[in-house]
Amino acid sequence: MISLFRKSLTARAVLTTILLGGLSVLIIGGFLSYSLANSFYQNRLSQALTETERAVDSVQTTIAASSLNDETSLQTLLNSVVPSLEISGGSTPRQVALLRSPGQPQLQLFQSPISQDLDLAAIPDELRQEVRASAGRLTYTPVALGGLEESIPGITVGTPIAIPIAGDFELYLVYSLAAEKQALELVQNALAIGGIFLLALIAAASYLVTRRLVAPVERAAQAAQQISEGKLDERLPEQGEDVLATLAGSFNKMATSLQTQIERLDSLSRMQRRFVSDVSHELRTPLTTIKLAGEVIFSNRAQLDPSLTRSAELLQDQIERFDRLLSDLLEISRYDAGAVIPEFESHDIRAVAQAAIKSIEPLSKSKETTVELLCPEENIRAEIDMRRIERLLRNLLSNAIEHGEGRPVVVEIGQNAQAVAICVTDRGVGMSRQQLERVFDRFWRADPSRQRSVGGTGLGLAISKEDASLHRGWLQVWSKPKVGTSFRLTLPKSKDSVIANSPLPMPPRILEA
Amino acid sequence: MSHRILVVDDDDALREMVGLVLSQSGYSPVFAADGVSAVETFREQNPDLVLLDIMLPGQSGIEVCRSIRAFSGVPIVMLTAKGDTDDVVAGLEAGADDYVVKPHNGAELVARIRARLRPIADDPSVVQVGPLTLDPKTFEVKRGSAVLSLTPLEFKLLHTLASKPQQVFSREMLLEQVWGYQYKADTRLVNVHVQRLRSKVEEDPENPKIVMTVRGHGYRAGSDSQ
Repeated sequence: MISLFRKSLTARAVLTTILLGGLSVLIIGGFLSYSLANSFYQNRLSQALTETERAVDSVQTTIAASSLNDETSLQTLLNSVVPSLEISGGSTPRQVALLRSPGQPQLQLFQSPISQDLDLAAIPDELRQEVRASAGRLTYTPVALGGLEESIPGITVGTPIAIPIAGDFELYLVYSLAAEKQALELVQNALAIGGIFLLALIAAASYLVTRRLVAPVERAAQAAQQISEGKLDERLPEQGEDVLATLAGSFNKMATSLQTQIERLDSLSRMQRRFVSDVSHELRTPLTTIKLAGEVIFSNRAQLDPSLTRSAELLQDQIERFDRLLSDLLEISRYDAGAVIPEFESHDIRAVAQAAIKSIEPLSKSKETTVELLCPEENIRAEIDMRRIERLLRNLLSNAIEHGEGRPVVVEIGQNAQAVAICVTDRGVGMSRQQLERVFDRFWRADPSRQRSVGGTGLGLAISKEDASLHRGWLQVWSKPKVGTSFRLTLPKSKDSVIANSPLPMPPRILEA
Repeated sequence: MSHRILVVDDDDALREMVGLVLSQSGYSPVFAADGVSAVETFREQNPDLVLLDIMLPGQSGIEVCRSIRAFSGVPIVMLTAKGDTDDVVAGLEAGADDYVVKPHNGAELVARIRARLRPIADDPSVVQVGPLTLDPKTFEVKRGSAVLSLTPLEFKLLHTLASKPQQVFSREMLLEQVWGYQYKADTRLVNVHVQRLRSKVEEDPENPKIVMTVRGHGYRAGSDSQ
């Protein structure tokens, strides 16, 4: 429910409208019913006051007209007054009480005449005191009539009356507001039902309006989502001339300009990649000719003038370097173009590592560096593109030998349930933190002044990194100046799986000791 | 007598240079600059081997390869400027025996040519495999009395497998013994040629009885005991 409220703009708008609408219906209904009740009461009150006045007049006339000699005749008179007052005049029956004011000599035999079903609670003491204090005037108060379970509002009007022989009396007339209450309840019920209808109407209307407003926004949001997912052709329908049409129009304009920009950049970078690839391809044929010619010259250098021999050697070396550079450029441009198709096959990683170590032997011999292989005596198989992994290892090995200062280079192999790892570690010069950050950058060299015997292209590690990610693997590096450098390659055993952790620690154990 | 080699390449300098290298190694080169003249020159000169560039103007090297294979089993070595998978496989499927990736060096090129011109079998005795009879003296493969036409390379591949029917040959072993590679090479050479060989010698290439696959290891010749 809360999530719906959070997610759906429509739900939020409808709920808010219902809450606000409900509040206003309550306020209006409350005000209406209060002012109605008030006006009913005022009407009844003025009616009651008029009737009471008339009643008092008639009582006083009656008393004045009769000749009262003793208590008995008085009692008879008074007894007849009350029932006559009960029925005379007025729309609804009223109740009557003629009470003797307290603080006078007790009359024998006398009884205060009271309507039969009148509850004396309807005549509170405060009213009586007030009535006694205000002779010649009518005094009133609203009261609650009826039993405990259902109270009916009423008005009690009282006035002092002086009766010969008997002394001071108070005449009270109690008017019931049952009819008014009933009418008010009727109106209130009507108001409540009307309010509920109104609320439902408001909810429906707000739903419809919100839908109309939100639907285009939702469409725009969906279109934006589609565009962000790369479907640049997505557009919104433009209808009418309102603000929503403006939104759709602006959105479409934005999408179009975005699309042109992206397509322009895309074609630009495609052109650039094509250029690198084309140049590399075009260079191959002349390079082949140069290479063959250089070889012929180099192999016959003994016949050359001694001053030309060195030139022939330099030519040969540089052609080889050019060759390596070109093939690395081609490989990286293949990766950039996304044109690399790996050939996965299950291989024993130990055999691949041994092959790489063997192929690097000329370099390790010339640098007088031994390469140690540490691996468990078990089959360590993984689905790999063998040629790429062997090239990668050869690359790591030649770097390690190059920077290893002649100290032994260690190749360690490990495995766990889903992954294999190969660590190539040297105990050479190492690298600083700044150097480490750039180690996989293209054409970057740790130390340009350093003499290189291999003549690396500067693309080796960049290609190695691509090779590793082609296998969904990791190529990580750890290094510390004057301690050594370690590259760790972690590959999933199955080409479709994902690796969570590497079987070998980083930094390697041999450097920690 | 020196072997005659047809060099097909559209780049004049490279063609001439390859010719120089071949002459130095004792071969007699003949040349063609495009696909159409390559097939014509082939018919006129009847070379012992073709060095064929894949990227040719007009008719591509792959088409040239196919047209030569239609009437001749002479070894074809492709020169490919792309090391890309598609090109190599297409060339091999069109019937090329081997390929060299540009830029190559002279020694590599000559080694490939030498391997392809080497005699097919040292032992001239007739070998039997399933219903087939292989005669290394005439390079003939017969099923009963019907002669099957195999290229020398296909013959050598089948002969190598058939001479040791009990042995399983890994792809690397076949690359070494049939193609003459001393170090690891492209195992697709083996895969493609086994497919081509099967399509010629098997009655049902989908269900081979003569060149059997040993899963995870390589191939072996089918024997009657199986």
